[in-house]
Amino acid sequence: MIYRVNHVSRIHYDATIGNARFNVRLQPSDWPGQSVEGFGLTVSPSTRNLTTRAGPFPVNVTRVVIDEPLDALEIRSQFIANVSDERPAILPSDPTIATVAQAAIAFSSLAETAPAHFLFPSPRVPALPDIATWAAAYLTPHRPVLEAGFALCCAITDGFRYDSAATDADTPVTQAFAIRRGVCQDFAHILIGALRSVGLPAGYVSGYLRTLPPPGQPRLEGVDAMHAWVMLWCGPERGWIGLDPTNRCITGPDHIFVALGRDYSDVAPIDGVFMGKTAQHLDTSVDVAPYAEWAAESAN
Amino acid sequence: MAEDVLTAPREDALLRHYVTDAAGGDLMLEAASDMAPHWRDMLSGLAAAGTDDFAPLQDRVARQVQDLGMAFRLAGEDDERSWPLSPIPLLIGSGEWATIEQAMAQRADLLEQVIGDVYGPQNLIRSGAIPAPVITGSTHFWQQMVGVTPPQGRHLHFYAADLARGPDGEWRVLSDLCRTPTGAGYALENRLALSRATGDLLSRLNVRRLAPFFSAFRQGLAAVCERTDPRIALLTPGRFTQSYAEQAHLARYLGFLLVEGDDLTVRGDRLYVRTIEGIKRIDAIWRRMDTSLLDPLEFDARTRIGVPDLFQAISNGGLAVANWPGSGIIESRAFAAFLPKLAKEVLGEDLLLPNIATWWCGQPAERAKVLANIDNMAVGSAFGEAVPGLDDGRSHIGATLSADRRALLMDAMERRPMDYVGQELVRGSTTPAVLNGRMVARPFTLRVFVTRDSNGAWRTMPGGFARLAAHGDIRAVLMGEGDMSADVCIVGSSTQTPVSLLDTSPSPPIRRIAGTLPSRAADNLFWLARYLERGENTLRIVRALLGGSIEADGGAALDQGTMGRMTAMLVSAGAARQIDLAGSVTALARAAIGSSEDFGSVHSLIGSARTIGQGMRDRLAVDFWRLLAKPLAKLEQQAAEPMLGRLADLLDRFSALSGLAAENMGRSHGWRFHDLGRRIERAVTICRLLRTFARDDASADDLNVLLDLCDCQIMYRMRYLSGISLYPARDMLALEVQNPRSLAFQMDLIVEHLAALPSLRDDGMPEPPMKIATSLSALLAAASAETLGNEALEDIENHLLALSDAVGARFFLRGKEAERAAGVTRLA
Repeated sequence: MIYRVNHVSRIHYDATIGNARFNVRLQPSDWPGQSVEGFGLTVSPSTRNLTTRAGPFPVNVTRVVIDEPLDALEIRSQFIANVSDERPAILPSDPTIATVAQAAIAFSSLAETAPAHFLFPSPRVPALPDIATWAAAYLTPHRPVLEAGFALCCAITDGFRYDSAATDADTPVTQAFAIRRGVCQDFAHILIGALRSVGLPAGYVSGYLRTLPPPGQPRLEGVDAMHAWVMLWCGPERGWIGLDPTNRCITGPDHIFVALGRDYSDVAPIDGVFMGKTAQHLDTSVDVAPYAEWAAESAN
Repeated sequence: MAEDVLTAPREDALLRHYVTDAAGGDLMLEAASDMAPHWRDMLSGLAAAGTDDFAPLQDRVARQVQDLGMAFRLAGEDDERSWPLSPIPLLIGSGEWATIEQAMAQRADLLEQVIGDVYGPQNLIRSGAIPAPVITGSTHFWQQMVGVTPPQGRHLHFYAADLARGPDGEWRVLSDLCRTPTGAGYALENRLALSRATGDLLSRLNVRRLAPFFSAFRQGLAAVCERTDPRIALLTPGRFTQSYAEQAHLARYLGFLLVEGDDLTVRGDRLYVRTIEGIKRIDAIWRRMDTSLLDPLEFDARTRIGVPDLFQAISNGGLAVANWPGSGIIESRAFAAFLPKLAKEVLGEDLLLPNIATWWCGQPAERAKVLANIDNMAVGSAFGEAVPGLDDGRSHIGATLSADRRALLMDAMERRPMDYVGQELVRGSTTPAVLNGRMVARPFTLRVFVTRDSNGAWRTMPGGFARLAAHGDIRAVLMGEGDMSADVCIVGSSTQTPVSLLDTSPSPPIRRIAGTLPSRAADNLFWLARYLERGENTLRIVRALLGGSIEADGGAALDQGTMGRMTAMLVSAGAARQIDLAGSVTALARAAIGSSEDFGSVHSLIGSARTIGQGMRDRLAVDFWRLLAKPLAKLEQQAAEPMLGRLADLLDRFSALSGLAAENMGRSHGWRFHDLGRRIERAVTICRLLRTFARDDASADDLNVLLDLCDCQIMYRMRYLSGISLYPARDMLALEVQNPRSLAFQMDLIVEHLAALPSLRDDGMPEPPMKIATSLSALLAAASAETLGNEALEDIENHLLALSDAVGARFFLRGKEAERAAGVTRLA
C-alpha cells in the first residue's frame, strides 16, 4: 500500500518566546517492510538552521533552532510511504514467552533495535506492580509469545475506554491504568509495561494510520493526529511485530512507521526548550491518503 | 607476631574498655607488628594523658569541624548538619597501602577499557563477555554516547571504590563509583580538622599528604583540554544537593569555577560561562550531576538544571568531562559480577583485589545457584532500582525474610531474573570510633579515590574517606543517620625514610585575583550586600525607636511626631505592619527584628542573605559564612533596656560582616559588586532618612534621630557647638564627601567601582550604569543644603533605583527567564 502523508502542526504561544530549540521527530526511520520517499520538512518562520541525525533508537531527530522572537510556529512534514501489504499472523510454531524472554537476555547486541534496550523500565514506563499483576493471567510462561501479546492487546481495547479528555500528554501511565481510560499513548505505555513485567522486550512506535478506511470498514481511532502503538520482540526469528491496543490489531498495511523508542519520551514528535514562560496551544492536522486517491484528486 | 600485638595492648589502660565483635576482625587489634607501635603512639597522643578518655579530643575536633564550616545534608532535609567526625583515624601501613594502590590502578585500567569498548567497538558485547542487558539495565547507559569519544580516550578522570576489610585481613571491593564519587572533599576536610586538633601528631607519624592527589587530578584534567591554560568548572546541581558544601569546598580548593546550569551556555558547539565580561569559554567540567540532567535536548527533556545543547559541546566541541557521560554503567552490581572474568579477558590478569562475589541472575546457571542458596546470600537489585520483592532497592538475605516475602521475591526473580543479583555475605572489620568520650568498635567501609595525572597514569589518594556505620549495614548511602566518618592515615613503617612533607610536584603558575566572575556570582554578591545593609539600617531604626521610648532623667522621651516617623519607616520598609503600631514599642521592635512573616524584618533579611550566601559558598570566607549562618537568638518578652542590649549584639554581627568584607575580601570584581550593592543600598537609605527627618520643617528631635541613625552625632557635635540645625545636618549627610556616611561619599565610590568594572563596548562610550552614576554625581556636586529639599531627594532616589536596575540588566542574568523544556505534542 502506498500512502501520501501530510502532517501540519501549528503551535502558538500566549507570550513571545526566544532562543527556541526544538527536536522534531517526524522523518520516518528505516523499518523493514516500509520504504519512504520524498520526505520534506518545512518550518515557519523559516530557518536555515535544520540538521537531522539518526538515533539513539530508530528515530530521526531534526534540530530546529530559531533565534528570533517567536509567537507561533508551523511545522509541516510530507512524504510518500510504501507499506508492505502483509500482516504478521499468529503461528503455532511461535516461541513461548519463557523462550523469548531468555533469548532477549542472551541476544548479544547493542544495535539500536537490539532487544536489550527495550527490556527495562524507561522514563515514562517505570516498573508498575499493578499492571504486572493485571497482566500476569495473560502472560503465562509457556504461552506462545505473539498469541499472548495479542490477547493482552485485545484486553486493553476491550477493557479500556478511548477518551481524549481523560488524560493529557503528561498523565502518568499508572493514572490512565487506574481509570481505564486514555488515548493511544496511554494504551501503548500500559501494554509496554505489561509485556516488560515478564521480561519481554517491548517498544513504543509513533506513526500514522490511513485517514479514511477502505470501503465497508470502520474508521480507526487516532486518525486525526499522529498515532502510537507497540512493538513486541518475538524472538530472533520473528523479530519485531506491531500490536495496536487502540485498534485491537496486529499492525499491517494500515500502519505507517515513523520511529521506535523505549517510550513516548524517545520519539516525542516535537519537544524542546525556549526562553520564556507561557502557555502553548497546539493544533494539528494529519492527512493520510492512499497515493492513488491523492494523485487522482490532485489531478482534478 | 600478630598475637603479641593483639594481647599486649589489652593490658593497656587505653584499651581496657575496647570490645569488638570477633567475627569480622578489627583493624587496630589485628594490626601487623610493624603497625602496632603506630597505633599505640597515636592513641596515647590522642587520649588525655595516661587515660582512655577521648572526650577532650572529641571536643577539640568538633570545634575544628565547626570552624571549618563542615556540613552535610541528609536526603530530604532542609538544614545542613554539622559533620560527624570521629577523632581516631584509621591507620594503614604503607606496605599494605601499596597493594591497594596497585589494585586500584589495575581496576581503573580495566574499567576504562571496558567503558571504551561498550561505547566504541562493542567487542565485549558481541563476544558475550558482557551480556547486553547488563549494560542496558543501568539507567546510566546512554545509547547516544555510543561512538562519542572523549579527549585522548579518557572516560574516567576520577574514580572511587568502596572497600571492606574481611576477618582474614583481606580487602574486598564492595562497589565502584564514577558518576559523582562524593567523599574526596570530606576526606580533605577530615584531614584538616584532625590535624588542627592534634597539633604535630600526624607529622610525627609521617602521615602521607593528600594535596598531591588533588593537584594530579587538576593537571590530569587540564592535560586533555585543547588550551594550555584551561578554564575548568565544577558543575553542581545546586545548593540543595546533599554534598553541596563538599562541592563548594572542592571548587575553591582546586581553583575550579563553581557553576550551575544557568551559568552556562552553548554557542556553536562550544561551552561558555556567562560572566560580567560577556561569555567565556569553558574547557572542562567536573560534573557532579547525573548524565540525565545534563542536557534537556539530548538526555532527559524534563531536566530544569541542565544546559541545552551541552551534548553538542561534548560530542563536537572538544569539551573534557570528568567523568565522561555514560561511564556510570560500571556502578551496577550486575556489572561487578563480570569483572573477574573481564580482568582475564581484557588484561590477561586476575583482579588484584577481589570483588565481593556476585552472581547475576540473568544467566540460568547463576540464577539457579542464587535461588538454591538464597538463605545464605544477599539478594540485591542488579541495577540499584527498587524491584518487586526488594521495594526499597536494598539487599536482603533470604533467611531474614518472612516466608511470604521470600516466596514473593523468588517468584519475582523467576519473572524478571535480570533485575537481581546474589552476593556473598561479607563481614566487615571494625575500627575504633569515639562515642561519648570512649573508644568503641564500629564496622567501617573505606572509600578510596583514584585519578589520572597529566600523563594519564593512575594516582591513588593516600588516604580516603572512612564511613563508620551506626548499624550493621555498611553498604548504604554515603552518610546516614547516626553514621560517623573518620580520616584515613597512611603511615610509613619505622624502617622507611621519612616521607617528605613538601610537595615535590612543580609549583603551579602564580595567579593573583581570579579573573572570571560568573554573572550569577556577581548578582549574588551584590544582593548579599544590599540585604545586609538593609538589615543593619532596620536594626538602627529599631534601636533609635526603643531608645527614644525611654524617659531619661524623668524627662520626656522623643516627641510623638518623631516616633511616628520612625515607625512609618519600618512599615514602609516591610519590617512591620500598621497593625503592630497599636501595641507597645517593644512589641513593634520584636516584630521588626524577629518576624518571619514580614519580608523586611531583620530576621527575613538575614534569611535572604543566608539563602544567597548558601548558593555561593565557594566565594565566601568561612568566617563570613559562619557569622551569616549563626541562628538569630529569639527575642523574649523583654523591657526596652535589656532588649537594647540584644540589639547591640546583633548590630555587632552586622558590623563584623561588613568589616570582614571590607578587610578580608580580595579587591576582585566580586568585591566591587559586593561593595556596589552596599553603597547603592546605603545611598537609597540616606535619601529616605533625609526625606523623613530633614524636611524643611524638621524638629530638633527629628534631626537628632537622623544623626543617630547615620552615626554622625559625635562628628556633628564636635563641629557645631551651637546645637542642632537643619542645613548643617543636611550638608553633612548629603553633600560632605569626606563623611563616609554621606550620600556624596557613596556616589564617589559607586562611580569608582563602575569605572573599574569591565565594559562590553569597544567604542569607549560609557555603559548605562555609568551614565546614570555620573549624572547623579553631577547633580550632587551642584546641589546645596538649601536646595536639597524632598523633591530633589526623591529625584535622586529614583535615579539610584534606576542605577540598580541598570547594573542588573548589564551584568546579571536577571530579566531572563530560565530556559524551559516543553513537550508540545501528544499522540492520539
